[in-house]
Amino acid sequence: MTGRGAYRLRLALRDLGAASAFLAMSLSGQVPSWTAALFVATLGLALLDVRPFARHVRESALALLGSVLVLWAMVASGHMDLVVAACACAALLTAQRMLSGHGAAVDQQVALAGLLMLSGGAALSADLGFLPCLCAYTLCTSLSLALGEVERAAPAGAAPPAAPSLRAAAALTGVALVGGVLFFVAFPRLSWNLAARRGGNSFAGAVVGLGDRVRLGGSGELKSNPRIVLRAQLDPDPGVDTLGAYWVAYRFDAFDGLEWRGQARPGRPLQRLTLARGSPGALSQHIELLPAYGSRTVVAIDHPVQFSMATAQLPSYSVRTALVPVGDESVRLDGAASGFSYYASSVLRGEPASDDAATRARRLALPPRLDPRVPALARELAGNATDPAQIARRLEQRLQQRYRYTLELPGPVEDPLADFLFQRRAGHCEDFATALAILLRTLGIPTRVVTGFYGGERAASEYVLRAGDAHAWVEADVPGGVLRLDATPAENRSAASATLLGWLLRAYEALEVRWVHGVVDYSFADQVTFLRGVGSNPARKQLPAAGLPWAWAGTAATLGLLGVLLFLLLRPGPDEAQKLGDELHRLAARVGLLAKDRWLEELPSTSPAVPQQLRRAVSRYLEARFGTRPLARGERRALLSAVRDALRAPRPV
Amino acid sequence: MRLADVLAQVRRWLRPPRTLRVTRAGRTYIVLTMGIGLGALNTGNNLLYLVLGVQLATIVASGLLSEASLRGLQVRRLGADAAFAGEPFVYRWAVSRRRGTAFVLTLAETHPQLEGSATLALLRPGEEVVVRGRLLAPHRGPYALRGIRVTTTFPLGLFSKGRVLEVPGELLVYPRRIPAPRDVLPSDGGRGEQTARRFRAEGDGDTAGLRALRDGEDARRVHWLKSALGGKLLRVERDVEETRSVVLTLDVGAHGPALERSCEEVAARARALLAGGAAVGLEAGPDRLRPDQGPRHERLLLGALARAGLQEGAPR
Repeated sequence: MTGRGAYRLRLALRDLGAASAFLAMSLSGQVPSWTAALFVATLGLALLDVRPFARHVRESALALLGSVLVLWAMVASGHMDLVVAACACAALLTAQRMLSGHGAAVDQQVALAGLLMLSGGAALSADLGFLPCLCAYTLCTSLSLALGEVERAAPAGAAPPAAPSLRAAAALTGVALVGGVLFFVAFPRLSWNLAARRGGNSFAGAVVGLGDRVRLGGSGELKSNPRIVLRAQLDPDPGVDTLGAYWVAYRFDAFDGLEWRGQARPGRPLQRLTLARGSPGALSQHIELLPAYGSRTVVAIDHPVQFSMATAQLPSYSVRTALVPVGDESVRLDGAASGFSYYASSVLRGEPASDDAATRARRLALPPRLDPRVPALARELAGNATDPAQIARRLEQRLQQRYRYTLELPGPVEDPLADFLFQRRAGHCEDFATALAILLRTLGIPTRVVTGFYGGERAASEYVLRAGDAHAWVEADVPGGVLRLDATPAENRSAASATLLGWLLRAYEALEVRWVHGVVDYSFADQVTFLRGVGSNPARKQLPAAGLPWAWAGTAATLGLLGVLLFLLLRPGPDEAQKLGDELHRLAARVGLLAKDRWLEELPSTSPAVPQQLRRAVSRYLEARFGTRPLARGERRALLSAVRDALRAPRPV
Repeated sequence: MRLADVLAQVRRWLRPPRTLRVTRAGRTYIVLTMGIGLGALNTGNNLLYLVLGVQLATIVASGLLSEASLRGLQVRRLGADAAFAGEPFVYRWAVSRRRGTAFVLTLAETHPQLEGSATLALLRPGEEVVVRGRLLAPHRGPYALRGIRVTTTFPLGLFSKGRVLEVPGELLVYPRRIPAPRDVLPSDGGRGEQTARRFRAEGDGDTAGLRALRDGEDARRVHWLKSALGGKLLRVERDVEETRSVVLTLDVGAHGPALERSCEEVAARARALLAGGAAVGLEAGPDRLRPDQGPRHERLLLGALARAGLQEGAPR
């Protein structure tokens, strides 16, 4: 590599390292957009080797100072979070340095400013993308700094030895990353928690946002979105890979022809909310609503009977929050936060139907401009069935059989129900649920539309729900209790597996679950469990949480082993001549002809104690190593054999 | 081998004598790492713990790499062509090692009065590289060299790790170079003697003529071709070149700056006289050098002046 090439490579690595650090910070989605635009422009200029601040260092430093003052003012006035402002400062500092020069000192300053951004990213985000950013930053910065060191030491105008130094720096990165993982696993988590700060929204933001109304005719993006919105640990653990459960969020009574709308008013906030009497076989759930959920409506497996111990995760700390019942429609969490966690308890048996007249009237209400074909269709689908439960099941089956599931919707229409039933004859879960509910109401059966999620996919020791699992179904009050009805074809109820992108996203989410468990939520308890597990058979461990430290240790050991193997494979091995030289040196030193710290060339050539064979072998080694006559095949072995024989024979003193 | 020896060897291997200096960037790096550590402890943020782990492991890995660059080095001095006090001179070392590649080595003498160093970017195994550096010695005289300090800032430039290789030696620094006085012969400080003897026909200069060989004269002066043509032995007569022979005297009784000034002045005169074709000798106390010419004699003169007035066994 030429000197110019090494110079360009060093600067490119330096700038890419800084870009990785900035990306780690940007994953949080909290970095101001103007900062991001500025940094991207800086990166472009730097990669083109355009450094306008090199001749205007003072002016650019003043501009940087001004920007810092503006950011400080924004923090003081409450318009910006302190950590976000600090991150923006770090980004501006890095950008100013990147455009200022190309010396070794500037390289180090860029690397250190990048470290500030990386720390800011750690404080702002808990995204899985942080890990590759950290690796890329460590690698690029190490390579760049190492290249800068050899460039500085090389004679002026000469090409620095780039390749060997890059190999050494890459090895350093490997050791640093493996060491970092080991430190992470082993260092005791004795946090003072004086300024705990929770990772905020991810870059993608909220994707579900279950609310107090369901409007028909929207697009069907949710079904193809695999982002995880909820994690739940169940006790007792069902132990199945696919849960196939209905997770309730909202129940609607009122439909005006276009949308279902909640009507109840929020009640008094409570720390513990009991909806019905539990039973010994209740299923306990510890549920975490992730930022991607984007709503405050609690979710639990149908039928929830109790909610408690709700916690709101704020940017800087976690705080207990209250539960607010909204009639019999939903339960909300009090306050705003990026995420929540709470405990829920559910019973799997059915609940009794309401016998309240007002409630029945509400659940039998029809939209004001109902298409007259709807009651006729209901009667036709019901056929000769007379029992309400039988009628409900028959209508559920007919809708599943005669209507097609699709996400390709035309958008807003005047009468979405009629459009679904008589025109398109295709729709998504909300269309199916609405149609079934209204058809049953025309036959005098009280119904409600319920929104929430369907499914539950096992990830490590818990179950996750994705945005694509959002679902709607129907509850009908029939003699004997509430009957859950789902008119949506069974194969379309949970997240649709569509494109390659979707598959990739799901794989990413699966990794993210492991990331969150193994890294973000790694705790002192996990460490204790891990230490208890060391030395015992991991297969016998009772606590599933301990599996992740084992996985970490295994991964670290495997990475370390791979690193050693790669090093052994990639390092240039000694050639035949060098092997011959080493062996001759060893033999000569063993019989006292040559001190260990002397060179083979210093073997006394005129001493009678040195056998002729040894002299010839040394001469041949020098020819092969430094001359142009390489050793022939098998020559090394022959020479060594002759030397050994000669050294075994008695020699003159 | 006794157990104590083995343990001592293991201890030496584990804790080799090294010096460690933190560079400016390294100080900032350590402060940042400590800040990240405090942040991790304060917040309990696991990603900060991860960053902290990578930072600390980077420091350790950097130390391992720099140690790998310093182990097993062999350095020998090649010296300088001429070293004058107060001006930089080129000094050379030969560096080699049998195994492993070493990066970014800086070589310097441990002598506290010798400034300057040399840098080597890469040293491959089994290769001997001559490294040239510019040193600066403040005073004349012999400098007793005890060790060569080898340092490296590889790989990240955050720390400078060094070791000292015990290699005894000596560096002789000639007196400071000053302009020669207008009258290069001293008025009284030395014994200036200008000889203008001209021994015609006994010199080694240009051919002056031919004449018959007399009895007892050296037959090597015979011009055999002309003798054969003339039928009698003819010998060549050559001019004797005029040579100035000067013996400079140094008063070694002087002390301190006066002695230094005197040495510098005599050295300047000697150089000027030698450059003018004179044979120059020296009387410096008990040390005497006969008048002679040539670069080798110049070095002898300068060497004698470098040591003049300095007690034996008490080098700088």
